[in-house]
This record gives sequence, C-alpha cells and structure tokens, in this order.
Amino acid sequence: MPLPWKPNIIAFCCNWCAYAGADLAGVNRRQYAPEVRVLRVMCSGRVSPGMILKAFTSGADGVMVLGCHPGDCHYRVGNVFAEKRVEQVRELLDLAGVDPSRLLLRWISASEGELFGRTMDEFVAHIRDLGPLGGGRHSP
Amino acid sequence: MGAIPLDPRIEAFGASKCVDCGRCTYSCPASQIGGDFSPRGIMEKMELSGKIPANKDIWLCMTCKQCTQICQFGVRFHEVIREIRPELRRTLPPEPNHGGAPEALERLTAMSSIVPRKQRWMTTDLKLDDSSGTLLFVGCIPFFDVIFRYLRQDLLEIPRSSVRLLNAAGVSPRLLMDERCCGHDSYWLGDAELFEKIAMMNVEAVERLHINQLVAFCPECMATWKQIYPKIVGKLSFEVRSVSEVLAEAVDEGRLQLNRSEESFTYQDPCRLGRHVGVYEAPRHLISSVGKLEDMPRSREMAACCGNSSFINCGSQTKTWQLERIMEASGVGASRLVTACPKCLIHMTCALNEGMQLVERVKMPLIDLHVLAASALSKQ
Repeated sequence: MPLPWKPNIIAFCCNWCAYAGADLAGVNRRQYAPEVRVLRVMCSGRVSPGMILKAFTSGADGVMVLGCHPGDCHYRVGNVFAEKRVEQVRELLDLAGVDPSRLLLRWISASEGELFGRTMDEFVAHIRDLGPLGGGRHSP
Repeated sequence: MGAIPLDPRIEAFGASKCVDCGRCTYSCPASQIGGDFSPRGIMEKMELSGKIPANKDIWLCMTCKQCTQICQFGVRFHEVIREIRPELRRTLPPEPNHGGAPEALERLTAMSSIVPRKQRWMTTDLKLDDSSGTLLFVGCIPFFDVIFRYLRQDLLEIPRSSVRLLNAAGVSPRLLMDERCCGHDSYWLGDAELFEKIAMMNVEAVERLHINQLVAFCPECMATWKQIYPKIVGKLSFEVRSVSEVLAEAVDEGRLQLNRSEESFTYQDPCRLGRHVGVYEAPRHLISSVGKLEDMPRSREMAACCGNSSFINCGSQTKTWQLERIMEASGVGASRLVTACPKCLIHMTCALNEGMQLVERVKMPLIDLHVLAASALSKQ
C-alpha cells in the first residue's frame, strides 16, 4: 500500500533572526508541523534563485525564505536583496507553471518564536491544500 | 607493437583519423583564452592510452564546433567531447553559472506534472492562428528576460519581433501553449536522461498538432529540433527552419518589404546557426535588406564563438575573449553588432557592461537580428 503523501518543505532561515526564532519556538515547546526541513544560511540574501529552484527540482513542494525584518539585517541590506530575488523566482515559477505561492518570504525576528511556529503551520497547511508539485513523490 | 584500440564510443566520431596536426587547438576558443584545454592534447592522450580522459578541463569546451570545422581529416571532436561528458558528469559534474538557475528551470519544465505558461510576452498586435501549419518555438527567452533583465530590458522584443516579421511575410504562426525547454543545455552538458525525457515530451506535443514546419528564432532550439531530436526519436513529420530562413525567403519572393537605411552592421554568426546547422546566408540577406553588411575578419565558418555555452565557465577569461570579439566588430567600421542568438546577445552585453569600465574605447551597440529587421518594417 502506498504511503500517504507528505509535503516536503524547505525553510531557508537566516542565522541571526529566523533561525534564532526557530530556537525560541523550540525553547518555548511550541509544537509545529514536522514536514519542514530547516536550512540555516548566514543571511536570507545568501539564498540565490538557483538554490530555491534547485530545492523545487529536488523534490520540495514548498520553499520558505525567512529573514530579519527590514532594517534589522545583520549585514544591513541582505534582506532587501532576498526580497528582490524571491520576487524574481516567483516570476520564474509562474512562467514555468508552478504556483508562485509555493514560495514564501517572511520576516521573523529572534523574539518571534510564536510567529515562526504559526508560519510553519500555515505554510504546511497551504502546501497540503495545493498538493504535490512533482506528481506525488513520498517523503523519504 | 599493435595499435591500442580506441574506445568504440569515440571511434564513431573519426577519432582514429587524427594525425595530431593541432589545427583544432589553434582554432579552439577554449584553448586560446588560456585554460588547460587542448583538443589535440586530449586526442593524443586517448590515442596513447585508448581510454577516455576524465578531468575537469573537458567542461571548458564551448562545443562551438570550430575544431570539427577546421579538421582536414574528418575528426568530429565536438562530438567526442559530448560523448565523454555523460560519464564525466557522474564523477566531476560541471559547475553551473547564474547559481544554477537556467539548469534548474530546464529540469523544472521537464516535470510532466507541471504545465509551463510562458506566453505572457505576447502583445495584442501579434497575429497568431491556432490552425496554422507553422509553429513558432519560443524557447527559454521568457525565462532569460527575468534572469537577465539587469543586462537587457528588451529581450522579449525578440519573440515579438519574430511574430511581427512573420505576420508581415504573410505567416500567422501558432504557438505551443505548454512549451517546455528544448533541452539543448542538458544535451551538451551530458545529462542524457533529462534530455531524452524533454525530447520525448516536446516531440509528442508537437507531432500531435500536425504542422508542416516548426520555426525558431533561437539557434539552439532550432539546431536541437533539426539535428538532435531526430537522433532520439527518428525522422520528424515536419520541417525545422530558423525564422531568418523563412524571412529571407519572403524577402526574395517580395512578400516581405524592409526599409533600407545607410547604416552599416556587422554580424556575429552563432555557432549553432552557422557551423552546426549551416545557415550563413539567410541572416546576412536580412541584414543586407535593412542596411550595409560589413563582415568581421572571423566570420561564417571561422566565426569566433561568443565565449560561453550552456551557462558554464563564465569568468574573466571568457569576458576577455568576448571583449576581443567586440573590438573586432568595432574594427570593421560598422555602427552596430547584430547577433541572431539570444545567448550571444546576453553574453556580449554582459562583457560590454563590464568592459566599459575597463576599456574606454569599446563602444559597440548590440542588437538582435529579428529586432533589427522588425524595426525596418513599414508602419501601416
């Protein structure tokens, strides 16, 4: 019997804000959707369009890019770059026929553990609604 | 001592006919820009050992076919390189440029579960006909428009101009609504599995339309459809031609009138359109219809490559090569450099943008062949 489909979701978290937010969610024992795989990057600006697209071609059903609030970037403007890049990838995804809402950009600060957990829950629910991207591969 | 037998995979491309004369290496752009790549050296190693060399230098080849063109003995060295790559890919994969975005998009559009929607470039003045016998294959230009918008904002004018010109010549083409990538890059980068999948999907989608010709403005798409797909799926039921061939024919037959000006142009032969498919005259005929054509010293069969292929190996050395080529173009006294390939246009624009800061005297506006020809159409 085939296993039920579970979404594969990649979350690129910036080291200084979103990843610390994830830590806080953990410290607070905030339960959130287990389908998310967190990848720590030094800055959301580090995430290139190629990395996001590669996540999709490698089996991700949804990708999140999570960084610091505007003005709070550890490297001053990395999140501004991230915003531009995500916008570019959304356009590419739309052309390729992938729902652009499978890519989410959110600003989550180190103190927002609750927001981190809520973002995970909402995004996973959204991807569950959209269904699998590549014809329903199963989570390993 | 008996001769060491060559690997049969490369023997098929005439590898045993090599006399080690070195003409390939003298003409090879990858050797000239100063890398460690030498077609002659690779052939020599293969002849001495009978084995296929496995090192990263194999990725330096631009597959521009200059070596095969110049070889007097019929060695098809660019095919040898392509034959080596699938195996090399497993141990030493190529390093893609642009963060791997073009490669990832190729892979993404090859997923059968998603349906690409690339038609947002269309404008209302374009006449399309869903029952037409001519299909226009658009290729990756809508993606390039997003990725390379920082270099050029006019890339979508290429498909628009192509349709305008075809309309003016009395052809209303149809489009493949869920068109996928042609797979050119995966073929030349040795990803046979992906390429075959793409080829099957594309051929199946197009054969269903019962067209009599497929036209493409992108030389890579055109060469892939014309020369490579038949190798995988057998003979296609329709003809494959470049937009420039269709237009040159229309100019000859008087169906297409272009306004001629006194401006002089020079032309960069794309390797796919020129050496790979052998279309040299049609683009020249179009340029001559809109102005004066001044060929560069290295043109036609000997045209220099634009310096990059399949979005790998971009670097200062290829930039230098491109700037040299642009200087060559400015040396013939033409006011604009015309390219027929979107990738040549992108690579040379990039070199020009960077080179402007280094070399003050390189000033050479670039324009795509189709955009140029469409700008010479009479306004109704």
